[in-house]
Amino acid sequence: MADCATGGACNVSIAIRQITKKFGRFTALDNVDLDIPHGRLVALLGPSGSGKTTLLRIIAGLELADSGSVHFDGQDFSDRTVAQRRVGFVFQHYALFRHMTVFENIAFGLRVRPRASRPPRSAIRAQVEELLDLIQLRTLAGRYPSQLSGGQRQRVALARALAVEPRVLLLDEPFGALDAKVRYELRRWLRQLHDDVGVTSVFVTHDQEEALEVADQVAILNGGRIEQVGAPDDVYNRPASSFVYNFLGNVNLFHGRIDNGTAYINQEATGQLVFVRPHSLEIGRQPSGANYFRATIKHISSAGPVVKVDASTGWGAPVHVEMSQARFRELELRTGEEIFITPNDLAVFADEQRAG
Amino acid sequence: MVGTLHLRSAPAVGESRLIRGTLIAIAVVFLSVFLLAPLAVVFAVALGQGVAAFFSTFSNPDTLSAIWLTLVAAAVAVPANLIFGIAAAWAIGKFQFVGKGILIALIDLPFSVSPVVAGLTYVLLFGAQGLLGPWLVAHNVHIIFAVPGIILATVFVTVPFVARELLPTMAAQGSEEEEAALTLGAGGWQTFLRVTLPNVKWALLYGVILCNARAMGEFGAVAVVSGHVAGLTNTMPLQIEILYNDYQFVPAFAVASLLALLALATLVVKSVIEWRIARRGARVT
Repeated sequence: MADCATGGACNVSIAIRQITKKFGRFTALDNVDLDIPHGRLVALLGPSGSGKTTLLRIIAGLELADSGSVHFDGQDFSDRTVAQRRVGFVFQHYALFRHMTVFENIAFGLRVRPRASRPPRSAIRAQVEELLDLIQLRTLAGRYPSQLSGGQRQRVALARALAVEPRVLLLDEPFGALDAKVRYELRRWLRQLHDDVGVTSVFVTHDQEEALEVADQVAILNGGRIEQVGAPDDVYNRPASSFVYNFLGNVNLFHGRIDNGTAYINQEATGQLVFVRPHSLEIGRQPSGANYFRATIKHISSAGPVVKVDASTGWGAPVHVEMSQARFRELELRTGEEIFITPNDLAVFADEQRAG
Repeated sequence: MVGTLHLRSAPAVGESRLIRGTLIAIAVVFLSVFLLAPLAVVFAVALGQGVAAFFSTFSNPDTLSAIWLTLVAAAVAVPANLIFGIAAAWAIGKFQFVGKGILIALIDLPFSVSPVVAGLTYVLLFGAQGLLGPWLVAHNVHIIFAVPGIILATVFVTVPFVARELLPTMAAQGSEEEEAALTLGAGGWQTFLRVTLPNVKWALLYGVILCNARAMGEFGAVAVVSGHVAGLTNTMPLQIEILYNDYQFVPAFAVASLLALLALATLVVKSVIEWRIARRGARVT
């Protein structure tokens, strides 16, 4: 890692070193280190206020860090201007030039080049048309941004950023302003596009599902610090902190203690936090094994791919359980019934201030 | 539910026909008496003794000089205002800085201060008995009772126009498009010319039109600093007053009709711009 920052040959496209950024008294980023490998699609994931967008803007040069450095391909770019960094930036609300057509928007980055390096008119046209084909909007080249749907605007913004052949593509909440269905389609399309184009890409999101599904690597931020970096499978199945565990999916939280390798959970116990994902709780009509507790079904939501059951335990917070439709039909559960719940997979973290 | 939307002429609030009629009548009568009638009188008197008399006004060298000075004052004030207005609106609309509220208040100052007071402050500053007067006299610089004074006063009263029109537009648009242009490799100047300016062009033109109308029509501030030197420091409004006080009604109203025509032209351009902005807005939503 160290040689990447000092200019040695390495596989790291962007190296972020000890970046700190404050806005007044608020610390947006606190001594952040991060490596973005070549050709990868990396997600910066975190709740709002975690510093993820600030980090993206610092990489782009739209924001200057108070301290620390940003290296592109081993070179220190901290003092370079936005234009010198040659990054493609896709803004959350697209920031398309409203007085230009789709074609003119995409051509902008080529047309503003100094005369010496500006491609001839015909070359610009060819390149824009190629990008229009890539985003499947060739027929709408003459439209203005206001005449496009949200998803179409997003794709134009992407094509515009790609037109300058950026060394990295940075996307700020790329699907944040879209409705659920378009969002879903577009993120698959983005993944496909990334595989085709191969440009190193970083996108910011607060949606863990989006990050886990699309990215090669996920960096989880919390309160201006990076909690964990890893492949989606890594961070989901081997979370480094209670925050990561909690943030990456729905959880049931129990307070408890660990004694001789056994977790004891109930309302009086303290010292440890015990997490169980809703799908790791097994509902049975009979007690099974040694680990189980009694509960009463309060609510069943069976519309959707998984059935969600809320149950009360009498000694703690309500418990959320998820199961397959098949299992649900097999058990024939009814509201008000008494059941036995067996946790299959626990995650235990020390009860710090930050947890929960 | 599928159905048709009926657009009825009766408003939802349901005022009676009588109240509506009365309100409209009041507005029409008021505008006719206080605006249309005087305008008609201006043209009627100006042309009252025939077209020849009307045009002979404009062969008077003093009148021609007044028209020329008005054009000069506007030609300086409008570009000065344009540059200042864009800079101020940009700074206020797109940056956060200490003293922003004070800057906005200062821009509005010429609206709240009487033009006569504005003129007087220039006399107190640059006049022979004023603060800087002795120094100016010693260096043979003439501001008060000279053309520079006229221009200064005109610039002062027109300060708010362009900035005021641009501010809401620039603030609403934020700076994302400019940031996008920067990431695409555009320089600061290119970003301004290709992104910022086209986005505010109608608001800008609107501000310029209003600024121009005010620059040419200003009376109070200019009257104080002018000194009424015929053929030298009279603008059109001042010349009208002099001619009128001289009982030269046809020339006075002939020059006045010129200003009135300017006002009408301003109104037409303003309406066209408003129509364009409204159409643009409709397309955006």
